[in-house]
Amino acid sequence: MIIPVRCFTCGKLIGDKWEEFARRVKAGEEPGEVLDSLEIKRYCCRRMLLSHVEIIDEILRFYEEAEKRKEARNQYY
Amino acid sequence: MEIEVLEKNDVNMRLLIRGVDTPFVNALRRTVLAEVPCMAIDEVVIIENSSVLQDEIIAHRLGLIPLKTDLNGYNLPEECPCKSEFGCNLCRVSLTLDAEAKEGTRTVYSGELISENPDIVPVSDKIPIVKLVKEQKLKLEAYARLGKGKKHAKWQPVSMCTYKYYPQIKIDSKRCDACGKCVEICPRKVLTKNVNKIEVRDLIVCTLCQDCMDVCPQNPPAIDVSWDENTFIFNLESTGALPPKRIITEAIKILDKRLKEFIKHVKVKTREKS
Ligand code: SF4
Ligand code: SF4
Ligand SMILES: [Zn+2]
Ligand SMILES: [Zn+2]
Repeated sequence: MIIPVRCFTCGKLIGDKWEEFARRVKAGEEPGEVLDSLEIKRYCCRRMLLSHVEIIDEILRFYEEAEKRKEARNQYY
Repeated sequence: MEIEVLEKNDVNMRLLIRGVDTPFVNALRRTVLAEVPCMAIDEVVIIENSSVLQDEIIAHRLGLIPLKTDLNGYNLPEECPCKSEFGCNLCRVSLTLDAEAKEGTRTVYSGELISENPDIVPVSDKIPIVKLVKEQKLKLEAYARLGKGKKHAKWQPVSMCTYKYYPQIKIDSKRCDACGKCVEICPRKVLTKNVNKIEVRDLIVCTLCQDCMDVCPQNPPAIDVSWDENTFIFNLESTGALPPKRIITEAIKILDKRLKEFIKHVKVKTREKS
């Protein structure tokens, strides 16, 4: 759903590194190199970021749409 | 016992411990994992939550946020003189969060938690707690307490605490023909080839896998990897809650206290017998 706060296996804090990781990978950098530069060394922590899908963004879209519709309706009346 | 610091910064520490045995280093490791206290959010009162995540998930996420810990200023709840289930100023810190998405979709970060004690704050301000769309709200009060790793992993002050034997690599220069196979196969790049000689570049990182011995065409292998059973490389990575040095000193103090208690019990028992 949303990026976990810590690595499931070892407990290292990884939540705060997700946004930088996602931004840099989207910009075309090699994921492995980004992980190295973020000093995420163990493979348990690396898979946390590598395999993560931020599904919460998809769910939020329903609420954003509903909000938009409500606003449109208010304008109409 | 002889301890040498190989590497140290604000989260990582690597020690070389000489002249001890496995039970001792393992006791130290287990004390670090299970007995050294640190601060974590333990109880959350949700006042309002209209986000897409349930109360329990948010409470769990808050619990996992590592908090900078002040061990001198706070007591473990079970040792606190207040004897109260709810806690007092000496055994509890309250943090509040009041977030609302006014403009549009936004992320609520750990930096928005307001602590009553400015020393007990999340180690990072950028940990996402939840995402809110316009009109959604999250308001809560959280209570952080000291605790031990044996009760819940959120109270572990380390995200890694390991030890391994100190490697010993011997290369028989008479039989080695410098074919370079061992250099190639080593997963940690321990060995290098220097003209017609194989040299050890970085002994500490060797994992004792002995792949280099298996691949050597000489019979018996010209390279020999063994370990010193009384020397250990002790690795520790703090979550940021406590400095690594403090974790070790605290662990030694706790181990010492428990051993003294143990000896006392043994003495009482033997006296009963006689
Ligand atoms: S034992 Fe493994 S890690 Fe150590 S030098 Fe040989 S191949 Fe490298
Ligand atoms: S594999 Fe054996 S013979 Fe070849 S360089 Fe290494 S030690 Fe020498
Ligand atoms: Zn990990
Ligand atoms: Zn108290």
